[in-house]
Amino acid sequence: MITGEQKPVEEIRKMIAPYKRILVLGCGSCVAECASGGEKETAMLASALRMAARMNAEDVVIEEMTLDRQCVMEFVIQLDKAIDPYDAVLSLGCGAGVQAVADMYPEVPIIPGLNTEFLGETKAQGVWAETCLGCGDCMLYDFGGICPLARCSKQILNGPCGGSVDGKCEVNPDIPCAWQLIIDRLDKFGALDRLEEIYPPKDWSTKQGGGPRKIIREDQQK
Amino acid sequence: MINTKRRKLALFYCQNVPESREKDRQALEEACGDVISLFPMPCSGRVEPVHLLRALEEFADAAYVIACPTGACRNFEGDLRARKRIERTRSIIEAIGLERERVGLLVCSKDNPKPLAVLAREIMDKVSALGPSPALGPEALDDEEKGI
Amino acid sequence: MSHESQLKNVLVQGKFSVTAECGPPKGADPEVILKKAQLLKGMVDAVNVTDNQTAIVRMSSLAACALLKTAGLDPVLQMVVRDRNRISLQSDILGASALGIRNVLCLSGDHQIFGNQPQALGVFDLDSIQFVQVVKGMRDDGVITGGDSLDHKPDMFIGAAANPFADPLGFRIVRLAKKIKAGADFIQTQCIYNLNRFETWLSMAADKGLTEKTYILGGVTPLKSAGMAKYMKNKVAGMDIPDDVIKRMEGVPKDKQREEGINICVETISRLKELKGVSGVHIMAIEWEEAVGEIVKRAGLYPRPALDRA
Repeated sequence: MITGEQKPVEEIRKMIAPYKRILVLGCGSCVAECASGGEKETAMLASALRMAARMNAEDVVIEEMTLDRQCVMEFVIQLDKAIDPYDAVLSLGCGAGVQAVADMYPEVPIIPGLNTEFLGETKAQGVWAETCLGCGDCMLYDFGGICPLARCSKQILNGPCGGSVDGKCEVNPDIPCAWQLIIDRLDKFGALDRLEEIYPPKDWSTKQGGGPRKIIREDQQK
Repeated sequence: MINTKRRKLALFYCQNVPESREKDRQALEEACGDVISLFPMPCSGRVEPVHLLRALEEFADAAYVIACPTGACRNFEGDLRARKRIERTRSIIEAIGLERERVGLLVCSKDNPKPLAVLAREIMDKVSALGPSPALGPEALDDEEKGI
Repeated sequence: MSHESQLKNVLVQGKFSVTAECGPPKGADPEVILKKAQLLKGMVDAVNVTDNQTAIVRMSSLAACALLKTAGLDPVLQMVVRDRNRISLQSDILGASALGIRNVLCLSGDHQIFGNQPQALGVFDLDSIQFVQVVKGMRDDGVITGGDSLDHKPDMFIGAAANPFADPLGFRIVRLAKKIKAGADFIQTQCIYNLNRFETWLSMAADKGLTEKTYILGGVTPLKSAGMAKYMKNKVAGMDIPDDVIKRMEGVPKDKQREEGINICVETISRLKELKGVSGVHIMAIEWEEAVGEIVKRAGLYPRPALDRA
């Protein structure tokens, strides 16, 4: 899923300051899973913003609503019935969600309330970790299911580097050395000899080569 | 849940707190219902930051949670959950300039159990010193507080 | 001016070689490099020039190498893959060769978070092993990545780094083998204070026949003080400084510690000279280039073999 964290409230207040009627818009998908933009968090933020406005004698209406998803047109269009009274939307969706809403309602300022971060997994309750770069050419089989691009700080395909100590990355001891993980995993499979071959340079064109990417499936289109 | 009348304290308490059953609650309400708003919960772990925030936003100068003693929770971790959520709520209100102390947790003592009425009084004494909450705005001050 | 690799000449002749390191300045003054060149001239076979080490912006290694050439030294161009993609890496190899630079050391580089540009984008298009392989392809086959031919092959003696003290120990030998397979003609190691551990690594390498396939230069760094020793032990990843080395440094008064650091360095070099499979020493006297001459002389490695003219 896509993860993100709420922007600091001072930053949000600065961005919404020019507006008088604001809709705080949550998303029930990824950002709900990482507890930053779901229905609960939307209610919390809206309440805090209303209190802050009152404490600063600001004349502003702040209301909230949550869509199942902000990145799918069919869900965003539900706003047709609701968006008229507002002069701005504070979206707690990920960057894709914010932009989908902005594309649908180009005359309404859609303000991002989150800093979108990474593609990752929920490792444990309250812990999310980055695991995928979206390179467009998945090599996970070769590395025993651990991605050296997303999880090695230097994106090394023939690792580890000389800074791996006690299974931790030199950049931050909280980060496990991805190459230690790969070696241990392939060892379990009895496939360590796979690492004796020199892995060739990555083809980055599947990530960047054609500019911003698009997928079109004719069998899925109307 | 939202009550339009202003109270000094919104109190969320676990129904397993001593002497907190229906008739005790009614008696307590009779005694100080214009100052304290009572919310019985099946477990302190069911209180969410949004409950506390909405209470502060709508009517309460302070919002507190009473939890069973550590280890005594029938759902095992009620007080632990409550502790973390209260801390989260405190960070949120601090970030908007509201005093952290307007939100808090009281964990019952295992060795010295007190009834709800006594605990409510203890908390009231603690939060009274904070005065009216700026989050409720100047209109929410009653005549006495406005100095009329 | 000779356009041959003196480092290669010395190693191929089976002599124990000496290289040192030279850090470019945090500025545009060529004199800094030229002064260091004078301290090292005649003391070493080749001089490594670091590439924005620790991710701190310094004069480019390529430019500094070109300056060293004007001073009559044989530079080793260190290149990290952190800052440049395959287009500019290969381009710089061609440029370096055109300037008469004949040695390159292919490295990963310290992560950008460590330096004065933590907001920079780390490139990491190739890793260090792929880079070795790419340079070999350019030198031997005259091709670049993707297969296009070069109209004139670069001439490079290719090096890689090895750290006998990093984890996981067993895999270090696999990685060394990969670097050699990719085309590393020579290897320079991380600085050695724990000779036992180094010898273990060396014998594991010898078991795999690797010491026959490449020239290994053992790295040494003279300690300036007990404080420096402790700092390196505790704060620098991948470093192994045994407690008795620390004790030795602490055991002498402060004004004698530099001398003791040089003593330890010279003793280490003497041990290295005796080890089969070690072809030379790489002296990394960080911001202490003056010490190199003394170390080389006391280790009995002076004078250096004469520069062969092309």
